[in-house]
Amino acid sequence: MIRTEDIHKHFGALHVLRGITLEVTRGDVLVIIGPSGSGKSTFLRCINLLVRPDEGRVFIDGVQVNRADIRPEWVRQQVGMVFQSFNLFTHLTALENVALGPIRVKKAPRDEAETKARQLLARVGLAAKEQSYPAELSGGQQQRVAIARALAMDPKAMLFDEPTSALDPEYIREVLDVMANLAHEGMTMIVVTHEMGFASSVASRIVFMDGGIILEEGRPLDIFEHPKNERTRAFVSKILR
Amino acid sequence: MFRSVESVLGILIIIGAGAVVYDVLAGSRGLDLGYFQANWLRYARAVQVNLLATSIAFVVGMGIGFLVGWARSTRTQPIRKILSDFHQAKVQGTARGRSALAVTIAVAGVRHYLRRIADGYVEAIRGTPLFVQIIFAYAVATTFYPRLAGVEFFAGVVALTINTGAYQGETFRAGLQTVHTGQVEAARALGLSRWGAMRHVVLPQALRLVVPPLTNEYIGLFKASALLYFISVFEITFLSKQEAYQGHPFESFAMITGIFLLITVTIARVVQYFEARFRIPGLGIEPARD
Ligand SMILES: Nc1ncnc2c1ncn2[C@@H]1O[C@H](COP(=O)(O)OP(=O)(O)OP(=O)(O)O)[C@@H](O)[C@H]1O
Ligand SMILES: [Mg+2]
Repeated sequence: MIRTEDIHKHFGALHVLRGITLEVTRGDVLVIIGPSGSGKSTFLRCINLLVRPDEGRVFIDGVQVNRADIRPEWVRQQVGMVFQSFNLFTHLTALENVALGPIRVKKAPRDEAETKARQLLARVGLAAKEQSYPAELSGGQQQRVAIARALAMDPKAMLFDEPTSALDPEYIREVLDVMANLAHEGMTMIVVTHEMGFASSVASRIVFMDGGIILEEGRPLDIFEHPKNERTRAFVSKILR
Repeated sequence: MFRSVESVLGILIIIGAGAVVYDVLAGSRGLDLGYFQANWLRYARAVQVNLLATSIAFVVGMGIGFLVGWARSTRTQPIRKILSDFHQAKVQGTARGRSALAVTIAVAGVRHYLRRIADGYVEAIRGTPLFVQIIFAYAVATTFYPRLAGVEFFAGVVALTINTGAYQGETFRAGLQTVHTGQVEAARALGLSRWGAMRHVVLPQALRLVVPPLTNEYIGLFKASALLYFISVFEITFLSKQEAYQGHPFESFAMITGIFLLITVTIARVVQYFEARFRIPGLGIEPARD
């Protein structure tokens, strides 16, 4: 479904990604953990080409997408993204936020897009909030709208970049529940998160990244209970506490 | 409730102060009330010249200001970065042809210099007196078109346009830059193009943000249009000075003050009303409260 081969990325003198090779099959949920600055966000952004990899190849459904003859806009329609800071469009209501992509990118008729947006908002438990502006919603509600906004494009896969780390603790649960449901419905997902409960119950695989490379990879139980790498062990014991 | 009582109190104090000033200046002589009735139409006609000059300059200046603000808010890639990207791409075999590279470099170069020109324009205009700009524009216009009818009005409008263009450029730059980069990123992540993100996400927010400062700019420009008197545009200050020398200094002063206040306060209030009416929670500065 999503495959990367030897991805490298430099920011000036910084060598942020130093050869990331990964494969996520359809319906898999891959969780990426790792210390701050290890390149997790940069890697996610390389997949939907918000950041262009300097070297290496990104495949979606078997097609190499980081090529000059493929429009990045097309690639981004295939994979949805949810950000740490929600980034809902401030000037639009929840409903308009969700309908914007279908209307402006897919050129869907407005009423059709809005009907679908209503369904998606209901699915994330926010049917009552469709007329609210982002500033009138709690962090948890904003993030759920952001998930619905990404889903509105009918993506083949979803990328989550620390979706709960900007949330007050009382709102984390509702967002994770929506994500878990999505996973159970068979969505292919790559999730950067340090929510260990979510990772162990939902993830099919966990990847530990440090210093721009993948240090260890395995099933949740293996990574959390029997990490092989010394640094994985140190990191895991720190976040499990 | 309390607030309106206080406002009334404030107005009473101002009127009281006005009465004292009146008493000191014109008390012994008295205001000629008949003068207002006989002459208000002439003042109203004269102020139309100010409004016309201001409005033309403001609208044309808005076009200039938008382009300048946009040029100044974009980031350009250094040529070195473009070349190294090209080199990287060549190593991977994903590079496009040399002509594509040449186009990229040319576009980056043009954008770079457009931006520098915009910077220079804003600095030069904001760093010099408007008064000097008006006189300069007038001098240039009369040198090249000495016999053109209405050359002073033309020169005045040009000066005001160039001036407000620079100030509005700063306003637009600030407005565009205030829209968070996360908004653009989210838009692009949905698959919108650069221009699509601009049109559907950045502009709707930026344009709302610039309404209050642009209103102030219009009011400021309208007041500044009084300076056109110095290049003999027959506008309200010109008329009022003439009248003052013909024996009606207090009346003409009261007239011009009243007219300026009436117009500026009305504009500010009307814009405030619409702003409150169409305000979006979380966008822009919250209105004053007590
Ligand atoms: N656009 C950019 N320009 C320059 N440097 C960048 C850019 N984006 C990221 N970096 C740098 O790359 C490194 C990796 O950043 P990245 O955001 O991918 O890490 P991360 O693993 O997501 O960290 P965190 O857990 O803090 O989110 C950091 O040192 C960061 O400062
Ligand atoms: Mg990150």
